[in-house]
Amino acid sequence: MADVTQPQPIDHVTATGVDNACDIGELMSAYLDGELREGELDQVVAHLSDCLSCIAEFHDLKEARTAVRMLPILQVPDRVMPAAHYGPELSAFLDGELTVDEQTMIVQHLESCTECLLELQDLDAARTAVRALPGVEPPAPLLPRLPVRSQRTSMRRIAVAAAGFIGAAFIAFNMMTSAPEETPVDLDQFADRHTVRQSVEGNFTGVPVIAPRSSP
Amino acid sequence: MAEDRVPTWEDVARRYGRKIYSFAYRLTGNPDDASDLVQELLLRVRKGLANYTPGSFEGWLWRITRNAFLDDVRKKKRRPTSPLPDDDRAVLGASPSPDEVLASVRLSDDVQAALLKVPMEFRECVVLCDVVGLSYEEISSAIDAPVGTVRSRIHRGRKQLRGLLTWPM
Repeated sequence: MADVTQPQPIDHVTATGVDNACDIGELMSAYLDGELREGELDQVVAHLSDCLSCIAEFHDLKEARTAVRMLPILQVPDRVMPAAHYGPELSAFLDGELTVDEQTMIVQHLESCTECLLELQDLDAARTAVRALPGVEPPAPLLPRLPVRSQRTSMRRIAVAAAGFIGAAFIAFNMMTSAPEETPVDLDQFADRHTVRQSVEGNFTGVPVIAPRSSP
Repeated sequence: MAEDRVPTWEDVARRYGRKIYSFAYRLTGNPDDASDLVQELLLRVRKGLANYTPGSFEGWLWRITRNAFLDDVRKKKRRPTSPLPDDDRAVLGASPSPDEVLASVRLSDDVQAALLKVPMEFRECVVLCDVVGLSYEEISSAIDAPVGTVRSRIHRGRKQLRGLLTWPM
């Protein structure tokens, strides 16, 4: 009698038809397709790290997926497809303004559509001709005045600023290099200032104090 | 060809024609059925575009593609026929060597034959995923089934397919 308390060996059957007892089969396909939901990735990776039969099944699924993906995308018979030709897309194609898929689609179409190929050649010739035209200078009277005036204004501002800077530098230079001028002392003016100060402060020694007028 | 504008009928024919044809051919293995589907679908697209509001264009397109396919199958009431390898040869370029060409055609034939033995509901999901390149969400929208069902069908389809492929890979 089997001991049900012990883990039973899993009866793995590899991928040729019988479901795997591990029951992560659907997760493996979704894993291959990048379609796992949140939290499932860890579960799959952990399981595949130690389950040999699931690793074998994973490779089988991968091979089946690859086999179908390698099937060529078929060309639609001409009698089925409408005579649909490219228009503005051809110019965008020339200018490199299409996505990679769109470019591929046009290249494939051009392989079998002479009409679009001729149209592409015409567009390319026209584009080359326009691009080869020399640059032409506009006549002087047509030149807008505003940029010229604003240019003059800017130049004037720069000149004024430069002059101001030079002037300030000159003054600073003079202040640093020239000695202070000795001014002659005006003794009369000095004496007057001294008298006034003494009368206000009242403690200037050496000078007779004017007594306050006594009250009656 | 901005993504946010409604494509014209010609856009659809140019951009999706080959995938639609391949979808039908991989499901039926019959080039005539595949051609009929493309023509029928383009008619439906031409009518449907008048009422189409910008949104998930791929979802809309593949939903009506599948419906057109199922209607066509019901109308003809016949089982898919065996694959015709001539169609696969038509897409091969001139540059591969003869051996490579033959090996490639043989491989495609084997896979196509195996695909046709997988039940239609699984095959459909496998083809939409691996041939057309739709996401599970887009397939869910196209076949009007939950994403969990899509996931299960793709897995079971691949599993059966691998069992049917006898050659070493």
